[in-house]
Amino acid sequence: MSTAVIFPAQPEQILKGLGKLWTSLGHEEKQQGKPTVLRACAMTLIVATDEPDGGFSASQTIAELMREHPSRGIVLAVSDGAEHELEARVLAQCWKPFGKAQQICCEQIEITARPESWPNVGPTLVGLTAADLPVIFWCRHRAALHPEATVDQKAGLQAIINIANKVVVDTQGLSAGAAFGVVAALRAQRRTVADLEWTRLTKWREPISQIFDNPSRRNCYSKFHAIEIAYAGEELPAAALYVGAWFSAPHKAQVSFVKEAGYGPGLHRIALRADSERIVFERTGPDCMSLHSTNGQQRSYTYEEPTDHKLMTEELTILGCDPAFDSAYARAQELLNEQA
Amino acid sequence: MSMSVVVQAPPEVNPLEDALRFERRVPPCAVVIFGASGDLSKRKLLPSLYRLFYERRISPDFAVIGSSRTPMSDDAFREKMKESVSKFLEDAPFDEDVWKSFAQSLFYVPGDLNVPSSYDDIRNRLDEVEKSHRTAGNVLFYLSTQPSHYAEAILELGAHQLNKGHGWRRVIIEKPFGHDLASARKLNDEIHKVFDESAIYRIDHYLGKETVQNILAFRFGNGIFEPLWNRRYVDHIQITAAESIGVEGRGAYYQEAGALRDMIQNHLSQVMATVMMEPPTIFDATNVRDERAKLLRAVRVMKHDDVPKYAVAGQYGPAFVGGEQVAGFRQEPSVSADAQTDTYAAVTFFIDNWRWAGTPVYIRTGKRMPKRVTDIAIQFKAPPLGLFQQETKTGLREVRPNLLVLRIQPEEGISLRFLSKSPGSGMRVRPVSMDFNYGSSFGERSPTAYETLLLDAMMGDPTLYTRQDMVEASWQIVQPILEVWENSKFFFPNYPAGSWGPKASDDMLAQQGHVWRIP
Repeated sequence: MSTAVIFPAQPEQILKGLGKLWTSLGHEEKQQGKPTVLRACAMTLIVATDEPDGGFSASQTIAELMREHPSRGIVLAVSDGAEHELEARVLAQCWKPFGKAQQICCEQIEITARPESWPNVGPTLVGLTAADLPVIFWCRHRAALHPEATVDQKAGLQAIINIANKVVVDTQGLSAGAAFGVVAALRAQRRTVADLEWTRLTKWREPISQIFDNPSRRNCYSKFHAIEIAYAGEELPAAALYVGAWFSAPHKAQVSFVKEAGYGPGLHRIALRADSERIVFERTGPDCMSLHSTNGQQRSYTYEEPTDHKLMTEELTILGCDPAFDSAYARAQELLNEQA
Repeated sequence: MSMSVVVQAPPEVNPLEDALRFERRVPPCAVVIFGASGDLSKRKLLPSLYRLFYERRISPDFAVIGSSRTPMSDDAFREKMKESVSKFLEDAPFDEDVWKSFAQSLFYVPGDLNVPSSYDDIRNRLDEVEKSHRTAGNVLFYLSTQPSHYAEAILELGAHQLNKGHGWRRVIIEKPFGHDLASARKLNDEIHKVFDESAIYRIDHYLGKETVQNILAFRFGNGIFEPLWNRRYVDHIQITAAESIGVEGRGAYYQEAGALRDMIQNHLSQVMATVMMEPPTIFDATNVRDERAKLLRAVRVMKHDDVPKYAVAGQYGPAFVGGEQVAGFRQEPSVSADAQTDTYAAVTFFIDNWRWAGTPVYIRTGKRMPKRVTDIAIQFKAPPLGLFQQETKTGLREVRPNLLVLRIQPEEGISLRFLSKSPGSGMRVRPVSMDFNYGSSFGERSPTAYETLLLDAMMGDPTLYTRQDMVEASWQIVQPILEVWENSKFFFPNYPAGSWGPKASDDMLAQQGHVWRIP
């Protein structure tokens, strides 16, 4: 359910649109004589995008995310093709749990802005955030993150960063140097920063960590003095540096990288070496991973390319600082310098 | 002469742990399941263990040893369990590759609990898996057998030194834990000859339900409810656990147990304790269980003469339900034609402590009721003065005080009923409901009760397990009722299948000026 285009996109007009939306949903409820709609909100999630679909895929992802993280979702699509300088539309994202009579609904606001109007969006967004709840900014506007972003893009980005508690970016596809540059610039603004390229590594990191849970293991973590990371793709990805940094941060194990053909871009294999043991964790097929050790340990895992929805689901559970990421990021910069 | 002291370095803490992102995981261990070819193993235990493995919560250094009388090879056991797991896995996919990996950790030892050499076989197999699967000497025994075998099996574990080793040893015991107070005490005494209380995990799967655990979060994680949570503001509490099904082939067992033993003595008394206990000083197993036990000990134990006034037994009779004839309890297979079993039980409890003195707690449970529902309703006192007219369908005024409902199943959640002004002129009010729906608000798959409880036992967290004093206290409060009912002749059936129970149950509440709500 959505409203007509709201122009000019003043916060009061948009909030009025939301009010009308709930009134009409309540009207349905009255007709049916029982509660049919439940409104849910735990945060404001702002997504800025320059994708050619005008924010469609971002909206879809927000709709999926609302099941785990109900929010007031605000999609800001910056596009040359926008009819007005700044226009908005409000809608309710509803879903019905299996077997239940009641729909769960979250509010979504779609704002379209011309590139030159983006810097003016700040005051509108300030008026639209849900009171007393955290504000998360997911930046899908790649151009604005680029060092050569325009003045308007920088100002637009800054306007949102100013109201956000946490900023989420995705450096996949960037070289490690460029990726760390993006993260460093945001961290310099004293915001909690998350990189979805790090989030993608959870399914690699967790099984490796699990190996060292056993306190009676003959080769404990500190005996592994070297880690080799094989990756597929042209450039050394940030993911390879992150995982090398994560493993080597506590005892400065030696890290090396090797380029190989794999089942897609990104990490392909992680090999850990101690004097008397070698542990290899690798993708063994498009949807399979295998962990094996020279001490006989072996185990298979499913591999699924994580969707934006899955990555954001994980990321939105961490609203404060992330010490594991912080220490891996610091070490990854050292490793990058060593590579240079 | 000089002496040197060798100080052993403490085990290295895993520096790669990332508690914010990684799931809670279990340490290396072996799980030995007695009664491995039984229904519980097939339907609950193996699917839960597989699911924990699938979610990467179980260490790669892990093994399951199943044991029962049926002769079977490891491979045959794996094949049989694969069938069960793929069939009974709840809300989760079955993955062939992950199963293959999991199956490598499954082993089987045929044996009879009465035959001592069976325990030697288990010990030998445990030694093997400790080497091959690096289980670090940690063993969790799961007694999924006939309750009459519990004591014997545990004594044999002790006789074969299986209760000791260089790792930890724990034992999970299924309900029923005894059939009355005396037998529960005797069983505790027997078990304590072999295992320390800290190693005994008496399972009550109700406590493993997410929504029961959420009661603690709701009460003690929020500041606004606890000040109201006492006799000054709460009028009474109703706990309902209704099932729409009958005894479903368990007639022989159920005829001996009955609703009071099967539900109220264990599950519902634990739920009552969770809802009404004092806040623990810290959230750990000892403190939480201390408070639950204290609450159960504060329940007024009825005198025999009081039982007819505060407890009602019922048994369903035949009826047409949903357009088809439903058999009465006495017509169920393996049930005698004059069975005196309670398929419905309702009890009024009073808690004799400062917080709850004088506030009745009504608990009811029954089979063949109109629907399957478990919830706890906290009925608050009405405002001292009724200022506003209330709209009702019949146009009459009626008092609708605030009601807080904690829904355990099937629509897990919490709702608060309060009055709100109806739109328009005039000051008419009507009740509205503020709802929190557990599944829809989090959207994630909740772990099953057995997944939670197995994980906890492997991690050494007994918070959700019942302790000796809790079990004995809960037997103590139902014991007088059992004694009176055993010496009574009931004119059963006294409620038709598909109804909310016998009229005597309504009368029990009426004498306190209350009525059962319809969940």
